[in-house]
Amino acid sequence: MASVAESEFPLASRRRRRFTRQRIGRALAPYALLAPAATAIGVILGYPLYLLVKMSFEKYGLFELIRHKGRWIGTANYAHILHDGQFWHVLLRTILFTVVNVTLTMVLGTGIALLLLQVSRWLRVALTTGLVLVWSVPVIVAVDIWRWMVDYEFGVANWTLTKLHIVNLVRHDWFANPWTGFAVITALIVWGAIPFVTITVYAGLAQVPQELLEAAAIDGARPWAVFREVTLPLLMPIFVILTSLSIIWDFQVFQQIWVMLDFRPTSDYYTMAIYAFHQSFQISEYGLGAAIAVVMVLFMFGATLVYLRQMLRTGEVQ
Amino acid sequence: MAAIELAHLSKVYGNDVTAVRDLNLDVAEGEFMVLVGPSGCGKTSALRMIAGLEEITSGEIRIGGKVVNDLAPRDRDIAMVFQNYALYPHKSVYENLAFGLRMRKVPKDEQKRRVEEIARILGLGDMLQRRPAQLSGGQRQRVAMGRAIVREPKAFLMDEPLSNLDAKLRVQMRAEIARIQQSLKVTTVYVTHDQVEAMTMGHRVAVMRDGELQQVDTPQRLYDAPTNLFVASFVGSPPMNLFEAVIDRDNGRVVCKVGDTELELPPDVAAERPSLGNYAGRRVAVGIRPEDVREASGWDGARLRGRILLVESLGSEQLVHIEIEATPLERSDLVDTAAQPPGPSLGVDDLERAVTLLGRFDRHLLLAPEEAVEVAIDPRLLHFFDLETGVAIPTVDVPVAAEVAR
Amino acid sequence: MSSVTQIAPTPVAPVAPRRRARRRRTRQLGWNVLGLLVLVVMVFPVYWMVATAFKPGQKILSYTPQWFPTDPTLSNFRDAIDQPFFWHAVKNSLIIVSAVVALSVVLAFLASLALAKFHFYGRKAFIVLILGVQMVPLAALIIPLYILMSRLGQVDKLTGVIAMYLTFVLPFTVWTMRGFLLGIPKELEEAAMVDGATRFGAFVRVLLPLVGPGLVATSIFAFIQAWNEFIIAYVFLHTPEKQTLMVWLASFTTLRGTEWGPLMAGATLCALPVVVFFLLVQRRIAFGLTAGAVRG
Repeated sequence: MASVAESEFPLASRRRRRFTRQRIGRALAPYALLAPAATAIGVILGYPLYLLVKMSFEKYGLFELIRHKGRWIGTANYAHILHDGQFWHVLLRTILFTVVNVTLTMVLGTGIALLLLQVSRWLRVALTTGLVLVWSVPVIVAVDIWRWMVDYEFGVANWTLTKLHIVNLVRHDWFANPWTGFAVITALIVWGAIPFVTITVYAGLAQVPQELLEAAAIDGARPWAVFREVTLPLLMPIFVILTSLSIIWDFQVFQQIWVMLDFRPTSDYYTMAIYAFHQSFQISEYGLGAAIAVVMVLFMFGATLVYLRQMLRTGEVQ
Repeated sequence: MAAIELAHLSKVYGNDVTAVRDLNLDVAEGEFMVLVGPSGCGKTSALRMIAGLEEITSGEIRIGGKVVNDLAPRDRDIAMVFQNYALYPHKSVYENLAFGLRMRKVPKDEQKRRVEEIARILGLGDMLQRRPAQLSGGQRQRVAMGRAIVREPKAFLMDEPLSNLDAKLRVQMRAEIARIQQSLKVTTVYVTHDQVEAMTMGHRVAVMRDGELQQVDTPQRLYDAPTNLFVASFVGSPPMNLFEAVIDRDNGRVVCKVGDTELELPPDVAAERPSLGNYAGRRVAVGIRPEDVREASGWDGARLRGRILLVESLGSEQLVHIEIEATPLERSDLVDTAAQPPGPSLGVDDLERAVTLLGRFDRHLLLAPEEAVEVAIDPRLLHFFDLETGVAIPTVDVPVAAEVAR
Repeated sequence: MSSVTQIAPTPVAPVAPRRRARRRRTRQLGWNVLGLLVLVVMVFPVYWMVATAFKPGQKILSYTPQWFPTDPTLSNFRDAIDQPFFWHAVKNSLIIVSAVVALSVVLAFLASLALAKFHFYGRKAFIVLILGVQMVPLAALIIPLYILMSRLGQVDKLTGVIAMYLTFVLPFTVWTMRGFLLGIPKELEEAAMVDGATRFGAFVRVLLPLVGPGLVATSIFAFIQAWNEFIIAYVFLHTPEKQTLMVWLASFTTLRGTEWGPLMAGATLCALPVVVFFLLVQRRIAFGLTAGAVRG
């Protein structure tokens, strides 16, 4: 760094050097601030993710668990699950479950958000408060409530549906048949997910500039056309984010089914997450479970990418 | 193209907030009408009622002779330019321009023809595929105008369309909008709070205050014969000088006393305002435009003595603040900028009796602060107002309607 | 030349607007009825939990449901609290939650400070990382996590659970906190520096007080997450004395099988703190996941 100029202008050079030191300090500061959080995320999220992929190529049973070391077996785990009829059943079931749940959540959630715009003020306040109340109920508590409501003997659901003469459900066990069982689980999940969707969409609706709607009305658009041409496109980012989040949440559904069916769901109730859990923790085939989990992650990757892209695009505004 | 008539139009929000009160206004076919007034005067509410965006509390709106009170905005065949343009951010310029045509089921090729023609006229030809976010302020303004024009509506409604532009662009767009309106001859109602915009653009200008119409007239008449103190103080920049004076009758002569100086009103001035005689012995409000305040050399009438407080050189002329002896006006209906605060008491002992007079003087006059100066006031150029009601004391050959606020 | 144009007063026919108003009122009524229905359906399960919790046993086990608890009793709550390990579970939950809240707020604040106030190489990558990592399914990670924790000897230990919870709430808390920091105008800090404060002084005197609400919101978010979590606690905490409230609630069975009254009472108790806190900060945290998605 020593140069002629430096010796000639000692003052300037000193100032420059101080600036440089300061600049280095400023350049390092953000990394120092990030370090603790990044370390935690790296050790407890990053490393397990790597371990998951690694394990999926290993024989990892009880013996390996005790030895703390898996045995490399290449793609054998994947070959195994791909030739496993049950795996395909579970995959299809999970996809169907996700499609139904996400569709219901988005349609009903958006519908209620639009309804909020139409009702009187007092009802709007009551509805939003009610929604937030539902939103705040812990999942396990919600599962217990629904378990009680559809109790085969004293459940309020059976009584109401029988009284309304829709079907006779006296002493009807909803979980005897996986279709009706999944219907209850779907109701529980959609019920729990609606508040988030509704309140987010409603907040988005409230942010649509009033003049745009007025301009469209003056331009001759009828209410439905205003919604389709102006409101909907403006809310598109919100819908994209909400839909991808819902897909991610519903595809990995675990605890609702697990607790609803008393910690021992029959194989008719297996979704990807439960199947992977069963393979790992119940039959101690951790390698197989890891392979199933990797497939699950890959399936959700698409939704994650869409979510990330949208978040980054809108995040850039800030 | 159609005339717009507002008859006894009122707008009450909730139960007690009256935004517009009994507004009667006729906008002729092809006329450029400007609604002007300070914020909260009801001009925007009136415009939004014409557009159909705001429900009418009472009264009637007719467009082209047809009552439109119950028509939805889309059925009124009007176009509106919003203050922040309200361009659809997710649509390209082309789609923005074509939206109204599409909603009215104009054939595709006709849409294309009209949009492209408008784009050419407005110089938007090569931006048709861009999104509003990629345009400059002036370009957005042009698109908003284009969206109104392309529909070929019966009337344009504009809600402060220039207020989001910088000063230079505003002057330029002002002329452009006026020119477009002139060539299309579409009835236009234009809302602004800027009296310069109002004066330069409107064929006629309607001044509003607190929901009530003060005066509707051509810009020149508004300037020359304001019907009340509010209009007098609102129109003109710099605003009219206003202060108190006393009228006296002295065997046939009518005299106006400003401070201790007596200005004799020539017989024709008195004859023009027959009711002025009734004010003998009473205080009135007197106004004079800055350009009518003159330096007194060579003037043989009465003079006001004063002291120069400040000289602002504008290059082409100079604005001189002169403190004279007179009673300031204290009325709530003056526009803030015109309310003359009593100047610092320099020569005049009584603070209550000092008024700062603003004069527009020739740039060649050599004037300096602190100098004593004599000001000539031509009584013919004075404006007289009733001190209680604020109404102009009427002149005979120009009858002024007595539609006036408290 | 008259300045105010006189228009003959045309009385407006009073019929038309009144009819329109009536039509509008009918439509409004229709929407309100629908809205009320939605409200009832949505809130009923929560109501049913609370109502059941206050009902005496024989009223719960009746073939015709009793809609209102006419003679409310606290015996269900007493039974729930008397269940084995209730107080253990409360203690464990409180330990875990307070540790997670304290650690996550400090770590998230530091990290978000870097993201919001500095421009550095890798900043965007880190943002992508924390957004993306939230999407990794817990159900998939639990397998390698179990392996990792058993290697570290952290299975069946509260510390292991705390570390995992902390990591899982971090991405979201960093993201939310960053939003709060970005919401504070740069000019405020700059003004403080112009007024003679050092960079650090501006930080302490201007930024810190303003970010207070953000700190509260994030810590409540961390609280709710840690309180509600089930899977990790269920898999990693084997001994009954070490379980958290949610595991306690999920495995709530008495010797006589499922007793709905005490179960609903227990559920009410578990939900109560979350509901209270959630209602407090809902507005602030609700939009973290979608922040800024609609632009005006």
